[in-house]
Amino acid sequence: MRALGSDPGSEVVDALLEQTRRFCAREIDAQAIDATARIPPSVLSGLAELGLFGVTLPEVHGGAGLSLADACRVVDVLARFDRSVAVSVGLHLGLGTRGLVRFGTAAQHARWLPSLASGACIAAFSTTEPGAGSDLSALRAVAREDGEHFVVSGEKSYVTNGGFAGLFTVAVSTPGLGGAQRGQSLLLVEPTDAGFSVQREEHKLGLKGSSTTGLLFEDARLERARLLGEPGQGARMLQHILSWGRTLMSAGCCGGAAFAIEKALAHTSQRTQFGRPLAALDVVKERLARLRARHFAMEALVMETAAQRDDEALAVHSLAAKVFCSEGAGLIADEALQLHGALGFIEDTGLALVVRDVRVTRIFEGANDVLLTHLGTAELSRHATRPAATVSDELERALADLTRTLHTTHRLRIFRTPRLLHALGHATHWVMASRATTTRAQSTGQPSHHAMATLIEQEARSAVSRAATVTADDVVFHQVLGLERHGANP
Amino acid sequence: MTDIDTRVIHLIAQLVPVKEHDIKPAQRLRDDLGMDSVSSMELLSMLAEDFELDVGIEDVADVHTVAATIELVKVFLAKKAA
Repeated sequence: MRALGSDPGSEVVDALLEQTRRFCAREIDAQAIDATARIPPSVLSGLAELGLFGVTLPEVHGGAGLSLADACRVVDVLARFDRSVAVSVGLHLGLGTRGLVRFGTAAQHARWLPSLASGACIAAFSTTEPGAGSDLSALRAVAREDGEHFVVSGEKSYVTNGGFAGLFTVAVSTPGLGGAQRGQSLLLVEPTDAGFSVQREEHKLGLKGSSTTGLLFEDARLERARLLGEPGQGARMLQHILSWGRTLMSAGCCGGAAFAIEKALAHTSQRTQFGRPLAALDVVKERLARLRARHFAMEALVMETAAQRDDEALAVHSLAAKVFCSEGAGLIADEALQLHGALGFIEDTGLALVVRDVRVTRIFEGANDVLLTHLGTAELSRHATRPAATVSDELERALADLTRTLHTTHRLRIFRTPRLLHALGHATHWVMASRATTTRAQSTGQPSHHAMATLIEQEARSAVSRAATVTADDVVFHQVLGLERHGANP
Repeated sequence: MTDIDTRVIHLIAQLVPVKEHDIKPAQRLRDDLGMDSVSSMELLSMLAEDFELDVGIEDVADVHTVAATIELVKVFLAKKAA
């Protein structure tokens, strides 16, 4: 199976990917990483020697200066061998360093980027807190000005790379800073900073080789030069950083899914039942075809997302890609395990590990349900006033009709019924995936790709049709849960 | 401050962790009151319902402050009365 976006890549990137493949095949033992909950230092240093920690960092500071799309290709390859490794590198290239690269000062670049590009320093990123997940406005970790310093107090949770990072980009509440009374800002934190400590490693379901810790700030004093970007504008910067993070995470989902499909194809072609290979049974054939189509669509959406140059467009695409790819990776890993029968339940097969590894992708970097609600909001704002007649594609027109109907029926009240926004977001991400898949199939011209695009378009139509059946009526849910119903929506 | 101003601010206070008497017209819904794209739309939805106004999404694209929110309500109340 070809690598993500390999139609076509540059020679430099293709060579890097081939080197990475060879290194991973030789040095990475996913089962051992899972069993010991640790990536061997030799693997991390080998990846650093390949230059993977500097892929997207500026050349002037020792990086390769490659694009988000190229970084996605790297993460995809890594995830085919081990998701813990992919997450560690992907986090460094996206959430960990993107803020510094995009919003940092020349002095900040000179201080940190060379060691980040070489892999001598690994980057981490943190917004989540014990009481604040997807809702950034609920951040309690706070930084207050004190002369030329910030004094930071509070806790952070679930910080990937936390155990070995040399630099943390941390989102904190900064009331009043930069004129924003409830604004957030980003701070650059080093593990040796006084008053700052990294907490114990979490014991996780999957991705056991990756480091996940908490952070504790006990009146940590940070010099003013640690402020990243504009004071009080953390939310706006986070949108860009999270867009990169979600896109790279989606690429990792593609890699994990590719591994699972390859295993399923190999097993079903070798395993004989009822006198025929499993793959010759029509039920299995359909299942394999749908899995391959889903994976093709995941890759198409990731590459379309990574190609976005406008921040707003990247933000919306990355929402769709993150949900589509994390749900797809979960589905593909589960189905591949099922196609192995009892063997799939045995750890040695490697599929149980993929199932455990990819589960969290539906949760971190924004829980999928929250992201779908945001995607529905974005779609409603974009299409509410757009005449359906201006949309030429039939599927897009169906989505535009649905959006207009929701707006006409509910007007602003729809924002008090997130289930409707969620349903619209779900339909929207399928339509975006279908559009990207069709574009990719047209670009390759291969009959199998056109067939995959047809399957995805059918699923997208179903998603739009299902969304049209969702109503604001929630009486039955209240009855099931035995809850009293306060207020009523139409 | 008019009755409308007070009613709007009272409704805003139900959605943000800021005391009613600390909410001022010049404040921005996102930077100063901590709202995001969904919660700010939810606020406008509450206002439309409370004041019984027929406000569409296209009408609220430029509403980013408390003052703009109050003005939106006044404009639509005037339209309703006309």
